[in-house]
Amino acid sequence: MDIIILFLLLFMGLAMWRGAPRWLVLTCWFGTLLLMIGLFRFHVTSSLGLSF
Amino acid sequence: MKAMLPRLVFWCINLWIIAYTLVIGISLLLQFVGGELPCPLCMLQRYAMILSTLGAVWIIRQAQRGVLTWDRYVQDLGLGALGAFAGAVFASRQIMLHILPGDQGYGGAVLGLHLYSWAFVTFCVVILFTALLGIIAPAAIPMAPARNSTADRFSSAVGLVFLAVVAINAVMIVFLEGFAWVLPDNPMGYALFGH
Repeated sequence: MDIIILFLLLFMGLAMWRGAPRWLVLTCWFGTLLLMIGLFRFHVTSSLGLSF
Repeated sequence: MKAMLPRLVFWCINLWIIAYTLVIGISLLLQFVGGELPCPLCMLQRYAMILSTLGAVWIIRQAQRGVLTWDRYVQDLGLGALGAFAGAVFASRQIMLHILPGDQGYGGAVLGLHLYSWAFVTFCVVILFTALLGIIAPAAIPMAPARNSTADRFSSAVGLVFLAVVAINAVMIVFLEGFAWVLPDNPMGYALFGH
C-alpha cells in the first residue's frame, strides 16, 4: 500500500509539472488521501487508554 | 507595496516547498546515515507533507505557465491545508502513543522534540500559512518572474528538487517494504534484502 501511495504522489507531481488536466490531478489527489486514511485506519487498531 | 505582494506571495510559496524538501531530506538523512528506520505512522506523516506540498508545487507551476486563476489558486491552497490537516491527525496519534510520563518515545530527539512532534508543528504552521494566504488572496494571486529569467529557473529548480526527493522516497519504500502489503509496526531492516 505504501508503495502505491508514494508512486501515486510521484505520478501526481510529474503530472502537475507537465500540465496534465486538472480533473486527473484532483482525482489522484483525493484518491491518495483516501488510501492514506485507509492505511491509517489499518495501523490504528486500538483506542488509547488515556484520560484527560 | 501592493504591486510587490503577488511576487512576495510567489516566493513565500516557494519557501513552503523548500522547507518541506529540507524536512523530508533531513528525515531521509537520519534514516540512511543515522539508521533510524521510519515506522508506518512516520511514513504517513511524510506522505502528508508531500501531499500538502504538491498543492504549492501546482500553484507555482500554474503561475509559471500563466494559467493560474483566482479560483484555482484558492482551491490549491485548500489542498495544501487539507494535506497538512491529515498530517496533523497522524502526528497527534503518534504523540498520544508516547505521551505518558516515562515513555522514551520513538526514535531520537532533535532539539528536545521527537520527529513526530516537529512534524505536528510544521503541519500547524502550514495550516496557518495557507489560511493567511487565503485571507489576502483577493489582493494577491502569485505572480511568477519572467520566463527563463534566473528567478524563474531557480523556482523551477526548487520544484524539481522536491520531485527528486519524492522519487528517492518512492525507491526507498520499495526496499523498506519489500513484497509485504504494509510496513511492520517497528521495522528492523530493509525487507527487500530479507531483514
